[in-house]
Amino acid sequence: MRLTRRDFVKYTVVGATSLAGVSFLGCTQKEGGEVAKPTPVETKAEAKPVYKDTFVLGEGKDHRLKGGKWGIGFFPKIHVLERLVEYDIKNDKLVPSLAEKWDVEQDGKVIAFQLKKGIKFSDGTELNAEAVKFTMDRLIAKEHSLRPEKAEVLDEYTVAIHFKDAEFFNLAKMAEFHLSIMAPTSVNPVGDPAAELVKPIGTGPLKVVDYKENQYAIYEPNKYWYERRGIEPKFKKFVVKIIPDEDTRVMALRSGEVDAISDFSHGGSDYTPRNQLDILAGDGYKVYKRNIPLTWVIAFNYEKEPFNDSEIRKAVSLAVNRDEIVKIFDGHVRPAWNGMFAPEAPGMAKAGITYEYNPDKAKEILSDLGKEGVEVSFIVDKGQGDQILVAQLIQQQLNSVGFNVNLDILEGGAYKQKRDTGDYDMRLYYIGGTDRRFYLRLYWRFHPETKWKAYLSPRTGELCKAVLKEFDKTKREQHLIELYKVLYEEMGVVPLYHDVMTVVTSPKVEARQEQLFEMAEPFFYGVGAKL
Amino acid sequence: MLKYILRRILQIIPTLIGVSFLSFSLLYVFPGDPAELIVMINSGVEPSPEMVEKFRVEAGLDKPLIVQYINWLSKVIKGDFGTSWSTGEPVIEEIAGRFPASAQLFFSTFLISVAFAFLLGIIAALYRDKAIDHICRFWSLIGISIPSFWLGLMLIWVFSVHLHLLPAFGYGTLKHAILPVITWSVSFMAIKARFIRASLLDALNQDYILTARAKGLSEKTIVFRHALRNALIPVVTYLSLSMSHLIVGSVMVEVVFAWPGLGSLLVESVFKRDFPVVQALVLLSAVIFTITNLIVDILYAVIDPRIRYGD
Repeated sequence: MRLTRRDFVKYTVVGATSLAGVSFLGCTQKEGGEVAKPTPVETKAEAKPVYKDTFVLGEGKDHRLKGGKWGIGFFPKIHVLERLVEYDIKNDKLVPSLAEKWDVEQDGKVIAFQLKKGIKFSDGTELNAEAVKFTMDRLIAKEHSLRPEKAEVLDEYTVAIHFKDAEFFNLAKMAEFHLSIMAPTSVNPVGDPAAELVKPIGTGPLKVVDYKENQYAIYEPNKYWYERRGIEPKFKKFVVKIIPDEDTRVMALRSGEVDAISDFSHGGSDYTPRNQLDILAGDGYKVYKRNIPLTWVIAFNYEKEPFNDSEIRKAVSLAVNRDEIVKIFDGHVRPAWNGMFAPEAPGMAKAGITYEYNPDKAKEILSDLGKEGVEVSFIVDKGQGDQILVAQLIQQQLNSVGFNVNLDILEGGAYKQKRDTGDYDMRLYYIGGTDRRFYLRLYWRFHPETKWKAYLSPRTGELCKAVLKEFDKTKREQHLIELYKVLYEEMGVVPLYHDVMTVVTSPKVEARQEQLFEMAEPFFYGVGAKL
Repeated sequence: MLKYILRRILQIIPTLIGVSFLSFSLLYVFPGDPAELIVMINSGVEPSPEMVEKFRVEAGLDKPLIVQYINWLSKVIKGDFGTSWSTGEPVIEEIAGRFPASAQLFFSTFLISVAFAFLLGIIAALYRDKAIDHICRFWSLIGISIPSFWLGLMLIWVFSVHLHLLPAFGYGTLKHAILPVITWSVSFMAIKARFIRASLLDALNQDYILTARAKGLSEKTIVFRHALRNALIPVVTYLSLSMSHLIVGSVMVEVVFAWPGLGSLLVESVFKRDFPVVQALVLLSAVIFTITNLIVDILYAVIDPRIRYGD
C-alpha cells in the first residue's frame, strides 16, 4: 500500500502537534521553591538589596529528617542542631558553643559542662541540662560508638558527662556531628531517649518545616538563633533539593532552578566536579572554597610482602608525583608534599616534613632489594569516580619505576571485603575529614583498638594514644609532631593530596566566605538570592 | 480457557517461590558483611562491635539462612515485607511511596514509545528500501546506540539551561515528566520500531497477502486488517517483556533527572545492602512479569482465533 502524501503529512502534523501540546501543558510547581513576593530587608541606614523569599540549594544526599534507625543527615546536624563545643583547628582548641565553660575532672573521665543561659530551641523550649542528658541518653540507648558512659544533671544548666577512659579525646568528641544537641520535644513521647524521632528540633539557624525523602527538605530561619547573633536572615524559606547526579546539579544551577550547589557536608563524596569549577567561575558563577584537613593517601597492607618493608613503601612515595595528581582536579586541591595532614592541622607546619618525588631513587631502591617487576594489587572503591582516575595515574607512575601494579576497581562491598580480609597490597584511603573530625579520624586511622586502621606500628600506636590522652596543648602538639615524623620515617601511608569543600552560587547570590565557611562544613545562614 | 487460566495462575506460585529463594540467598553471596556495611554507611561512623552485633540480632542475621528465609516468607505471605534496614520504615511503604513516580514514568514512556514505534515501524515496512525507510532505520539505530544518561544531560542542556522551557530535574508536575519520558522513549522506541518493521515485513510476504491483493482489497485493509494483526503476536510478546522494565529499566533516567522511582530505590538498596527492600523489589518484578505473561497468553487467543487453549 502507499500512504498518500496527504496522509503522511496529516499523521506527522497530528503527532508533532500532540507532542508540542504536551510540552506546554502542566501546572506551575506546587512544591516548595516557588518565588513569592520579594522581601525587602529592613535596615537602619540606606536601602539594601531586595532578596528572594526562598533560597534554593541543590545537594546530592538526602537529609534523613525522619531519623529512622540511624539518625538525621549531616546537613541538619550542622544547620538545625548545635554542639556544646566547636573545634578551632588553627589554634587547636575546643571553643564554647552551647556550653559556656567546662571543668575537666579525673583527667577527663568526667567533664562538667556549664550551659549558656537563655538559649532556646526553635520551638521555644529552653536549652538546659536535661536536654543535653536526653541527647546523651539517646546515644547510649542506640549503643552508638561515640556514646559516653552516662550523663548526669548537676543543676538546671550544668551537666556532667562520664566517659569510659580519661582522655582529651572525650572533649574533642563533643564537637562531633553525632553529639549535636537535640530538644527532648523532638521525639514522641517527649523526652524518651528510646522514642522515635518526630522532627529534629535544635538551637541552630534553621528549623524543619517540610520534608519528602529523596526529593526535598524545607527549612525556615530559627528566629531565636538569629536574635542571639543580632542579625536578620536574608530568606524566609530555605529549600534543599536532592539531586543525586553531580552533572545534573551543575545544570540545575545553570538553569536557575537552584541558587547554589554544595559539596556534601561530610566531605569526600557527592561534590561538585572539580573540573567544572573553573568553567563555572568563568561563566560568572561564584565559587567558594575552603581547605579541609582531609588527605587522600595510599595505604598499604603492611603485614605482608612486599609492603611489610618500609623501604618498598618509600619507593612508592618517591615514585608518586603529587603535582600531576592534583591536575586531575584542575589544581583545586593541594598536593601533600609537606605532611600527612593539611598545613593548618595542629603541629603540621612545625613538623618540617617534605615528601620527595624522585623516581630514579625509587628505581634504585627496587633494584637494590631485587624487587624490580614486583607484582602488587591496588584496590579502589568504584563509588569514588575521581579516585579511579587518581589510581590509574598512580599505577602509571609506579609501573614506570619498576612496579607491576594490578589495578582492581571494586564495588563498595567488595572493596571493604578485600580490605577486611587483607586481600590487597595497596589501596586508596583517606585520613581526616572536616575540622571537627580531626581527632576522631586520627583515632579511627592510627589507634591500636580500631578495626579500619590505615597503619599501625608500636611507635605510632603509642603516639596516637598519647595525643588523644593529652589535655595540655603544647604537649599534645609535641606528640603530634612526633607522630607525623614517625609516620614519615616508617612511610606508614603515602599522602597524595589535601581535599577542599566547595560551594558554587549563582551570580545573584550574596554570600560571604567567612560566613559560608565559619566552620569547615558549608554554613548557609547568611546567604541571600537577590532579585 | 478458564481451566487454562486457573492452571497458569497456580503455576505462578512455585515460580515466585523459586525466584524469592534465589534472590534471598544470592544476596548473601554479595561480598562484605551486610551488618557492618549497613551500620557504617547509615550511621556515618566506624561502628563499634556492639552496634554491629545489635543490628545483626535485630535484623535476624544471626540465624541460619534457611530460618531467615522461612521467617521472611511467612511474613510476605501475609503482606509484610519487613522494614528497610537503612530507613527503618516498612518496605511496603517505601515501595508504595515511590511506585507512583515509577508508574507515571513507565506508562507514559510505554504509551509514547509504542505509538511512535508502530508509526516508524509501519512506515519503514511500507516504504521498504526507500529513503524514508532508511531514515526510520537510522533513527532506530541512533536510539539504540545513544546512552540514555548522555541523552538526558543533552536534553537538559538544551531545554533547561539554554531555552529555560522545562525543568532540569525533579518530580511533581507534567512539565517535570517531559524530558525523562523523551529520554527513555528514544531507546525504548528504537528497538521496538525495528521489531515491528521486521515482523510486518514477514507478514506482508506471506501468500495470503498476495491472495488479498488479487481479490482487490485496498492496501489499507490489507495492512491494517490482515498483515498487522498477524504481525502482532511476536510484537505483543516482545512488548510484554518490556513490563519488567517497570522496576529496573529507568535507573539511568531516574538518576539523571532526580526522579524518585523504584529503579533508583533498587540501586541505592543494593549498594547499601538493604536486603529487605531488594528482596521485595525482585519479588515484585517477578510478580509483574509472570502476570503480564499470563495476560499476553490470553491476548494471543484474542488476536489469533486459531489459538485456543484446551478446556
